[in-house]
Amino acid sequence: MPDRTTSDAAPDPAEPGFGPAPDPAPASTTSTASLGDTLVGGWDDRGGELPPEDWGRDGGRRRTGTVWLFALFITLMAVGHAWLSDQLTSQAFLAWATIFTAISFQALPFLVFGVALSAALTAFVPTSVYQRLIPSRPSRAVPVAGVSGALLPGCECASVPIAGSLMKGGVAPAAALTFLLAAPAINPIVMIATAVAFAGQPEMVLARFTASLLTAVVVGWVWVRFGRADWLRLPSHAHTPGDSRWKVFRESMLHDTMHAGGYLVVGGLAAATLNVMVPREWLLTVAGLPVVSVLVLAVLAILLSICSEADAFVAVSLTDFSPTAKLAFMVIGPMIDLKLIAMQAGVFGWRFVARFAPLCLLVGLLSTFLIGGLVL
Amino acid sequence: MNRIAQGLTLVLLGAAALTSTVATDLYLNWVKPSFGPFLIAAGVVMAVLGVLVIAAELRGERKEAVTGGGAEGAEGAGQADPGAHHGHADGHGHDHSRAPGVAWLLLLPVLAVFVVAPPALGSYTVESTAGSSGPPPEQPRSGRFDDELAEAVAGEVVEMDIRQFVMRAWVDEEREMAGREIELTGFAVPASEGEGWYLARLQMSCCAADAIVNKVRVLGEPAPETDTWWTVRGTWVEPEGEISEVSEHEFEALEMEEVTDPPDPYE
Repeated sequence: MPDRTTSDAAPDPAEPGFGPAPDPAPASTTSTASLGDTLVGGWDDRGGELPPEDWGRDGGRRRTGTVWLFALFITLMAVGHAWLSDQLTSQAFLAWATIFTAISFQALPFLVFGVALSAALTAFVPTSVYQRLIPSRPSRAVPVAGVSGALLPGCECASVPIAGSLMKGGVAPAAALTFLLAAPAINPIVMIATAVAFAGQPEMVLARFTASLLTAVVVGWVWVRFGRADWLRLPSHAHTPGDSRWKVFRESMLHDTMHAGGYLVVGGLAAATLNVMVPREWLLTVAGLPVVSVLVLAVLAILLSICSEADAFVAVSLTDFSPTAKLAFMVIGPMIDLKLIAMQAGVFGWRFVARFAPLCLLVGLLSTFLIGGLVL
Repeated sequence: MNRIAQGLTLVLLGAAALTSTVATDLYLNWVKPSFGPFLIAAGVVMAVLGVLVIAAELRGERKEAVTGGGAEGAEGAGQADPGAHHGHADGHGHDHSRAPGVAWLLLLPVLAVFVVAPPALGSYTVESTAGSSGPPPEQPRSGRFDDELAEAVAGEVVEMDIRQFVMRAWVDEEREMAGREIELTGFAVPASEGEGWYLARLQMSCCAADAIVNKVRVLGEPAPETDTWWTVRGTWVEPEGEISEVSEHEFEALEMEEVTDPPDPYE
């Protein structure tokens, strides 16, 4: 359980009363202490006498602190509800809160089931199965990897580590990257979500599927031709072998929910703010320009970092934009956005991201214009 | 974010989803009614996952205490691989026990539900989108409408959604609504200029983020209090000239009745 161990061993500046650590650790580990521990550390300081003697071990105290923190949070919510409900009369704020809650709750079921399925595959399908299914010649492996992306439900947060483990398992990097791009964009959950959001517009589902698959495969082929091995920092495989499958399942689901869910809320906040704050006239002006509107929504997709299982609902809410612009939002979003750039840099290194992200943006925009012109 | 915090966050999020669907009808303010079962299922899954994570963490603690010494030994093990503590540095086998700071934001929807309890969109949205009242998004196929006007006997009062009314007023070249008594239900929005006031209703295809405003200008009755709900019986004011060029549809009210608490705020 490294969450206790790291910050316990390091002298934690948030806990001046903690005393000298038994084993002075590198200062860098201190910075990995999460906000929870920092907050809880502060809380422990204030209520130093709260935990009884027999909870003396610091890990236990920290947990107890977390529980107290949440108890405080719940109490504050109850007080806040009783006190604030009369004060909250700002129409603009309430409209913002409604839209934020709506986006979060609309996306939540898709997030939960996407994460559950992806966790099930991580836990119960060994990577050797993928290796057997994907051919060894890179140029042929790329389209296969692209199409098999349609089989793996999960959002982009899940596909980054999976692509890393595929490479580690011997799959050609270009094919693993194609899989990385295709899986979050064209998997069944995303397709269903798109069909639900764009009810009565099946051509949008078709356009999203073809444009995303085309982008993924073209990027893969470009990587086969021009990619260099030293751009990629291959991840070290550190999966604990002794874990039971159910434990892997639970942990993988928890991990994906926490990562994807947090960024989903960021996206919901940004989308609700845009929805309420940005004057309609601006969006109408921008939305009226044919090429610029597509570029604007592509940039918006990068900035908002919405989970691919939820982005169709945001896209459909941008009612003033052309279908091609909405398509760009849904093609670019699952492939490049702020949170993905951060994740890919963590797994593969910055040298990789600096080349990969612009390539995806370029190819993604080209195929959006092509498919948008043909289908929509 | 440590594991207890992660588990508790999931439980709270699940509780928020369940509170807004099972205990109250709050979710109707945000999403379509048909989405309720999915929200319930997601809430249950999250709450269960959260409980399992907390249980596993507490069990792990007890086991550690039994093996004796506990903390010291675990510290050594944890220290052995400092690289694993940060984010995704190690790919698939990244540290599963920690969540990034951004995960704290998952408490925001919880706050929204329990503290703010956001109401359905209303007059504010109608007024702030005044400029962009475009034609209805879905055009009727081959001149057929999904309302009950065609089946109704002449002289009978026809109940219509405001969406259906606007659709007819916009595209029905036959002008079948002319002279018919129609009943519309919506909320009152004051008109900034011109006579009368608006009876409005929001139409959503998925969630409140994609809500589209449908409104008619009501004439012949004094404007009621903003955001109160009314059922208005009246007739369509037939415009002169091409109907597709009319930007605002007028409704001559004969009688109106206040609605106390409509079940679903959206059409």
